[in-house]
Amino acid sequence: MSTREAAIPGAGIHPAQTKRKDHSSLWNRIMKNRAMYMMILPGLLFFIIFKYVPMAGLVIAFQDYKPYLGITGSSWTGLSHFERLFSEPMFFTILRNTLVLFAMNLLFYFPVPILLAVMLNEVRINVFKRFVQTLVYIPHFMSWVIIVSISFVMLSTDRGLINELFAMMGFEKINFLLSNEWFRPMYILQVIWREAGWGTIIYLAAMAAIDPGLYEAARIDGAGRFRQIWHITLPSIRSVIVVLLILKIGDVLELGFEHVYLLLNSMNREVAEIFDTYVYTAGLKQGQYSFSAAVGFFKSFVGLLLVLGANWLAKKVGEEGIF
Amino acid sequence: MKKRYGKMAMAAALTLSVVAAGCAQKPDGSQGSSGNAVEAKKGPTKITIMANLHTPEVPSDIIEKLLEEKTNTELTFQWVPDGSYDEKMNAAFATGSLPHAVYVKNQTSLIMYRDAIRNGQFWEVGPLLKHYPNLKNLDQNVLNNISVDGKVYGLYQERPLSRQGIIYRKDWADALGLKAPQTTEDLYNMLKAFTENDPNKSGKKDTFGLTDRSDLVYGAFKTVASYFGTPNGWGVQDGKLVPEFMHPGYMETMNFFKRLHSEGLMNKDFPVTSKNDQQNLFITGKAGVYIGSMADSVSLHAKMIDVNKNVVLDVANRVKKPNGKEGVWAIPGFGSVVMFPKSAVKTEAELKDILAFYDKLMSPEVANLTYWGVEGQHYTKEANGSIKPNPDTKLTDREVKAYQALQVGGPSTIKMLEPVHTLPVKAKAEELILDNNKILIHDPTAPLDSKTFTEKGSRLQEIVKDATYKYILGSIDAAGFQKEIDRWKKDGGDNIIAEFNASFQQAKK
Repeated sequence: MSTREAAIPGAGIHPAQTKRKDHSSLWNRIMKNRAMYMMILPGLLFFIIFKYVPMAGLVIAFQDYKPYLGITGSSWTGLSHFERLFSEPMFFTILRNTLVLFAMNLLFYFPVPILLAVMLNEVRINVFKRFVQTLVYIPHFMSWVIIVSISFVMLSTDRGLINELFAMMGFEKINFLLSNEWFRPMYILQVIWREAGWGTIIYLAAMAAIDPGLYEAARIDGAGRFRQIWHITLPSIRSVIVVLLILKIGDVLELGFEHVYLLLNSMNREVAEIFDTYVYTAGLKQGQYSFSAAVGFFKSFVGLLLVLGANWLAKKVGEEGIF
Repeated sequence: MKKRYGKMAMAAALTLSVVAAGCAQKPDGSQGSSGNAVEAKKGPTKITIMANLHTPEVPSDIIEKLLEEKTNTELTFQWVPDGSYDEKMNAAFATGSLPHAVYVKNQTSLIMYRDAIRNGQFWEVGPLLKHYPNLKNLDQNVLNNISVDGKVYGLYQERPLSRQGIIYRKDWADALGLKAPQTTEDLYNMLKAFTENDPNKSGKKDTFGLTDRSDLVYGAFKTVASYFGTPNGWGVQDGKLVPEFMHPGYMETMNFFKRLHSEGLMNKDFPVTSKNDQQNLFITGKAGVYIGSMADSVSLHAKMIDVNKNVVLDVANRVKKPNGKEGVWAIPGFGSVVMFPKSAVKTEAELKDILAFYDKLMSPEVANLTYWGVEGQHYTKEANGSIKPNPDTKLTDREVKAYQALQVGGPSTIKMLEPVHTLPVKAKAEELILDNNKILIHDPTAPLDSKTFTEKGSRLQEIVKDATYKYILGSIDAAGFQKEIDRWKKDGGDNIIAEFNASFQQAKK
């Protein structure tokens, strides 16, 4: 999420800036394109009101914030909350968990929609293609509560479907829900199940824009299906992949609070506690508003660094990047 | 991060609009119920109430309408599911959007608000109570238990000191020739027999002993801990306060549960089992023992006979370890506490109007309405004056049960209707709840104060909770558990112990 605002072009231009010297020309340009400006106005207002203005609230990370005293009344504590965060024994566990889940997302989830899109793109019968597309979109519209509940029912050791199956085949029952080892695979499989289909949309759109002439030429040169995919389809959507990758990295620490929180319990906390869930328990459940603001601040900061890094890298290898 | 602030901003905006709407409506109110000549001058008091909801759905408004009529008020309820009540309340508090009357869920939550109470965020009501004919009956001892620095900031809801006990399938026990458990070994043997000896005569091994949930306090754990002689929260050793988990009884309890878990005598997934699922395992006849509030035996029984007509339930208490002492942990005599935030209740006059509502809520007529419902619909009167609740618990759950959470005071301070117990187990449960009063184990820290505990006691408690589950499920051993306790001490537990002891010494003087 945190990178989307940066992607909005012209975000810096605002009627209030017209007092400048060259204001006549700028104003003229704005007036000339006023229809365009009117169209981005709602989006712009959205980001200002719901993204930029609330950022001012981050000052409570440097305060001993008490709700009844308000921001103006609470005392300032400097960096003490950050000091506490970095000295907290849980800190490295949380950082590790967050980064591991992020890496798994990138490694295991990110390629799946591309693969799926390529496969769909190769389907000849249009009806079948549409049918499959619709089917794979459906999970995206289910809330995590439903998905996690379904997997609870299936994976429980007390008469859960999968464990009953294991028992019938003579295997040991596996306690998926209460183990450190199974949390991550369970998490990533659920993400793939829910999001992979939805993720194909942009790739399919990009593939639709590929000039059919390229495929024709390749066929004449004797390229088979896989050659065509490798030399035409994938290179053509490369820039889309890079942009989505950077955006994905921007979401690095947005691993889905709801999802992880629902899976979290006493037995898998060591691998499942991430920044989002920690902020929630420390902030809302225990009322440590300032400390959790500091944790959130740190998280956003790491996310920003990663986006800048990825963008720089993308430009280095000759891609466009996002800004 | 930013998302969260977005939500906060939205919540703030909503609050503003609600407050604005509230203000706009205040001056006019003269079109209220005209039946009451005395109060016709003054329109109905508008009160917004946030309370915890113990039923899956928001109740219908039958009782609400009657309540408004009888108390000359216009009520708005913010029902919040009990499971996420604390979070919701903290969020409302942080955004300044608390309503006129807020029910604080229990003692633990009340402690979290001590700091805010001291800072004058809530109205002190103690000195006003004597002006109200019903509110003045509230028990001074319990009021002391909810007080902060000797001042009373709320009204309490009465709770029997301990309702904890064992509910078990008597039909199963009879089939296997088992008697009510008297020691923890009996309990173990019952659970084992229920698991292995086919108590439902199905020919299959499709039952198990204990059903438990992800709650170490109101689930089975703490009650069984009492049976092993563990103190309630804190115990006194050599004149000093020591937390319960450093007491040998706690370790014995964990070993007991570890044995149950490893031998499959309880639901394996109990650390992630909800109360609903826990009760369902009992209701559907998969598990034979439920440890918790004995008062639940009625609602459990009602649901069970839908599944199996021949179910017989029984209750038991006074279980102890061999050669041990009987005991059961107690709560401090109150359930929830209603408080009145100054952010919503602006003037003392407003506060008095709201207290007048609560005074009426404590009158026998209104108290019985919110607790039992409407005569003829939700209960019928017997010849001797006692009442018979409508056996259709689905109906009473939908229309009445939620409003029971509103009650202030209780049977010992209000003249409530007495139900006839058609169900033997209910009568016995009531009897045993009274019997529990003779063997109570109190929490000595209830009146004491620790700054560190208020600040981060509940976060630190998570360490102990996690470690307890891990020990029971066998992922750490006794040394590992000790290591977690050391972590608890290092992260602030040592301060808590020192502060409570200082407060304890002072109180003794």
